[in-house]
Amino acid sequence: MMSRRLSFLVVLFTFLLASPAMAEEKSAIRSILAERCLGCHGSREAKAGLRLDSRAAISKGGEGGPVVVPGKPAESRLIKAVNHAGDLKMPEKKLPATEIATLEKWVADGLPWTGDAEIPTPAANDPRLKHWAFQPITRPPVPKENGVNPVDAFIRAGLKTKGWSPAPPTDRRVFIRRVYFDLLGLPPSFEQVEAFANDPSKEAEAKLVDKLLDSPQYGERWGRHWLDIVRYAETCGYERDQVKPNIWKYRDWVINAFNADMPVDRFIREQLAGDEIPDRTEQSVIATGFLRLGTWNDEPNDANEYKYDRLEDMVHATGTAFIALTVKCARCHDHKFDPIKQTDYYRMASVFWSGYIEPGSRDHLGGPGTKVLGFDVHGWTDRGRTVPPIKLLKKGDPNRPGAVVEPGHLSTIAVLDKPFAPPPESAKTTHRRLQLANWMTDRQNPLTARVWVNRVWQHHFGLGLVRTPDNFGLTGEKPTHPELLDWLASELMANGWKTKPLHRLILLSETYRQSSIHPQQEEYAKTDAGNRLWWRAERQRLDAETLRDRLLAASGQIKLEPRGGLSFSPVIPPDALEGLSTKSAAWKPSPPTEQTRRSVYIFSKRGLLPPLLTTFDFPDTTLPSCQRDVTTVAPQALALMNNPFVHEQSGILAKRILKETSGQDAQIRQAWQLVLGRTPRPTEIQAAMAHLEKQSKTFAGRPEAATETLASLCHVLLNLNEFLYVD
Amino acid sequence: MKSFFPCGQTRREFVWEMGGGFAGLALTSLLASEGFTFGKEAAPAGPLAPKKPHFPVKAKACIFLMMNGGPSQVDTFDPKPTLEKFAGQPLPEGKKFINSGGRKMGFLTPSFRPFKPGGKSGLPVSDFFPKVREHADKLAVIRSCHTDSHAHGSALVAMNTGKTFIGRPSLGSWAVYGLGTANQDLPGYVVLMDKRGGPISGQPNWGSGFMSAAYSGMLFRPTGDPILDLRGPAHLSGAAQREQLDLMAKLNQEHLDARPGGRDLLARMNSYELAYRMQSATPEAVDLAKETKQTLEAYGVGQQPTDEFGRNCLIARRLVERGVRFVQLYSGGGHLEDTWDAHQSIEKNHGQHGKEVDQPIAALLSDLERRGLLDETLVIWGGEFGRMPFSEGKGEPGRNHNPYGFSMWMAGGGVKGGMAYGATDEFGFEAVEKKVHLHDLHATILHLMGLDHEQLTYFHQGRNERLTDVYGKVVKDIIA
Repeated sequence: MMSRRLSFLVVLFTFLLASPAMAEEKSAIRSILAERCLGCHGSREAKAGLRLDSRAAISKGGEGGPVVVPGKPAESRLIKAVNHAGDLKMPEKKLPATEIATLEKWVADGLPWTGDAEIPTPAANDPRLKHWAFQPITRPPVPKENGVNPVDAFIRAGLKTKGWSPAPPTDRRVFIRRVYFDLLGLPPSFEQVEAFANDPSKEAEAKLVDKLLDSPQYGERWGRHWLDIVRYAETCGYERDQVKPNIWKYRDWVINAFNADMPVDRFIREQLAGDEIPDRTEQSVIATGFLRLGTWNDEPNDANEYKYDRLEDMVHATGTAFIALTVKCARCHDHKFDPIKQTDYYRMASVFWSGYIEPGSRDHLGGPGTKVLGFDVHGWTDRGRTVPPIKLLKKGDPNRPGAVVEPGHLSTIAVLDKPFAPPPESAKTTHRRLQLANWMTDRQNPLTARVWVNRVWQHHFGLGLVRTPDNFGLTGEKPTHPELLDWLASELMANGWKTKPLHRLILLSETYRQSSIHPQQEEYAKTDAGNRLWWRAERQRLDAETLRDRLLAASGQIKLEPRGGLSFSPVIPPDALEGLSTKSAAWKPSPPTEQTRRSVYIFSKRGLLPPLLTTFDFPDTTLPSCQRDVTTVAPQALALMNNPFVHEQSGILAKRILKETSGQDAQIRQAWQLVLGRTPRPTEIQAAMAHLEKQSKTFAGRPEAATETLASLCHVLLNLNEFLYVD
Repeated sequence: MKSFFPCGQTRREFVWEMGGGFAGLALTSLLASEGFTFGKEAAPAGPLAPKKPHFPVKAKACIFLMMNGGPSQVDTFDPKPTLEKFAGQPLPEGKKFINSGGRKMGFLTPSFRPFKPGGKSGLPVSDFFPKVREHADKLAVIRSCHTDSHAHGSALVAMNTGKTFIGRPSLGSWAVYGLGTANQDLPGYVVLMDKRGGPISGQPNWGSGFMSAAYSGMLFRPTGDPILDLRGPAHLSGAAQREQLDLMAKLNQEHLDARPGGRDLLARMNSYELAYRMQSATPEAVDLAKETKQTLEAYGVGQQPTDEFGRNCLIARRLVERGVRFVQLYSGGGHLEDTWDAHQSIEKNHGQHGKEVDQPIAALLSDLERRGLLDETLVIWGGEFGRMPFSEGKGEPGRNHNPYGFSMWMAGGGVKGGMAYGATDEFGFEAVEKKVHLHDLHATILHLMGLDHEQLTYFHQGRNERLTDVYGKVVKDIIA
């Protein structure tokens, strides 16, 4: 055990080794302690509960008891440790003999102490603190480039280093589709496409972007991105998979927040501490639903262990969502890659630490309910203004509590490193959540704004400027354009943390408007297959919800109003229920009038996510998901070829066309316009006609032959690559 | 330590390099050899393309016979004569355990059916498994298994994913992630349910967690079409569907022609042809019409109570024969007595479930052997935990959950037969000798399939994740 503790110290000691500048005799001890020991046993951190920065602390010792016996160096554990004489070897790289001798003499002399009572702990000089993401956000000058917006100026500067040029701009018909899917997750109609393509105004693009940003469907689209990150679902998972009543109100809060362009700092503060802020409202308290989105096992194996697993889940969700750091990795040991100490994990965990929460009661459904907590508090992680101290767990093991950790912020951001203040007199909670939120939204926090603008960029371009949106640490990727990332982050804050201006800036850039095909793409791809220089747009595959919404939009069935409210349960084939342990109680579809609502309102049951969505990479809901997979597998083709929902839409389309249009040619044209939003080319009309002829022969004699024939064509269109990909 | 995704390289970066294309864009399940090309572009090899194991081994496939609910070790594969002597006495004090569900505490209770030696090895197997006993020389019984949970939900998830909480990739996912699969017309990882229902916690038991959904288990339904969406409306089958696919191909080709280098588009076009083949390959794989009467009888198909599990065992053989990498079969579904969860009566519960599976399992082992497939197929038998050596109240014939000691066995696929490994204490209460934690079990299974559990990693949110986390020791003694 001793040697394990030792291994935690290794890294830091290595960084603290400085050239031994032996000062005069009196201060020699102070200098040795400061340089060799205080990195781990000082004011910043007290490993094994031991501090070595004052005579009193040294005399007191740590978890293992006293470390010195004044006058008797041979019996002092500290002296044994520096001599590497037992299991405990400190520091790992043995001190020079002269320093050991000084320490021995000092113990033998009875610990004489001069000067200030406490030796200040030297600033950390862990080189990992120099990692780009931990540096302050600056506002780099925009590269000089005529007539382009700042986004383009940064991107052009990058391309110039290779002598490359951006892809040519897309035409308006491609552009309007792109922005519709990007901002609303819905297709423009044929008429909308044509009106836009023929708009003579130079302001047409700007007007379009503004119109879509004002559309209530914008929040449904962008809110869904956030719901992925916070692992939103409406049940608890595990055996009983109980419904969390009213959690949909959180979903609506998210959607409304995007629609209202709620400042990001407010967005974060309400979710973490909507009940603790001075100007709290019913809505801000609903926002704290964030705190109870996780899974909830009401029959855990070991209640004590489970308590800490829940805590880890909260730290992970919070760390990932807002600051893209894998703080959870430091539960058992100092982070292997990032400058996040084990004590940092417990500092952040202290925010969600109640000391009391015991799973088991089925009333809790993801945390104690309003009955237990008082009528309006949705946060379940604290139950009073004072809580028991939180202890570091050795190796993360709940059965091995170690030293008490003082609640506070991550030491990783040195400029904001401080302990939490006690809650105000009148507070009902610890106010640690509010302090965490304030820390995150402090303009000096180098992560929050960068993480946010990166997400916005990611959902417009398919990937972020930082390609690992969930990890800004040392194992994450470096930004493709660090200056642009910083410029956007500073712009976000300068605009009062509002997101919509950021969308405008990006969507109206030439970088966004590039074609997905570049004349030199073969050559460019040889050295930049990952498109890190953003020399063209990337074709995007529709995500699961957008695909389903587009199917409903094509058939004209989609029901956009009313928005929000209780979720609906789609029809799921009985075959898909086979995997459930309690089949009968499993799934009750909502009435038909509900079935055509937007996918964001589908009831999200952890034990049974709708197969049509999961087949198209709807993410797992137990962990934060910051970037969806895009897979192409045969079951997706099976779903679109055979699923009754898809056939239902083709049938409805066919009936509509037959009712509204006569003549095969006109019917084909209308099918193309409704499904793909464009007029078919002559070769396509020809192929479609041949298809109708063949199918009508095959179906001849069937009562619905005419509808079935045209439905077959519509069904083919719904299956095309053009339907699933946006250029 | 070598790893698939070394530190500093993200999974997505890896995918780019492998696919040579843009991030995460074109993962397909196409056989690399299909390499249908367009201009200079080849469709990228998919996530399930066959991969070489880390080291050469015999096993190419795995069939995991999951006894959902937790069979009792002292009544099946771990004889404890001492229980006769101490019958009716309480478990000695000092044996610490969690009383799952706070059930009534009873007294030490001997095995409900006698054990008899099987095969040349004389490996003892109880009368709940008389036919499996005939294959004793093929079995390596691990008697010292232990796990981390006494509750079904978390113990099932642990047996399947290594952790007691949901959200991690399952064993089968790790297998197909590491090895791909041999037949691209069929899924690589198939799960066959019991008609009575699925396991507690459902999908996370065969999910791929943080891995791509391409590695997740495909549920084969016990009735009707084995997978969802295998068939559209009747009038669109056969020639009419082919006509649709031909039109799609034509229109997609025009679309692709205008988008040079569209590997993602090409991959999706290919996936339709694959799906078309799956429509016939999948029903064919589960269609028992061409099996001989003799075979059907051997598996107990058409007889009760063996029909259902017999069918599933036979389907499992047909699947591994056709190149499916990992098949998991559930015996028992839903809750309590519908599973091996014998709280009420071992005799009744294990009598029923034993009878349902004994003959089919024996037939599966014979059949695999006869076809020369046993050597390359690892067969695993066991539940999520075992049961207590004591009853639930005086004179009560049931037993409560026991995560501290239980038995599992393996056969085929390079496993030594006719042996027992490790031991529980004199009562069969807890593993004491050569203990095998479920991480060790997982490490061993991966090893038998040619995968080093420390090398098989998946980079996720800053960490090289493993099935065995930072644990796991291969049980070398059972490997031939």
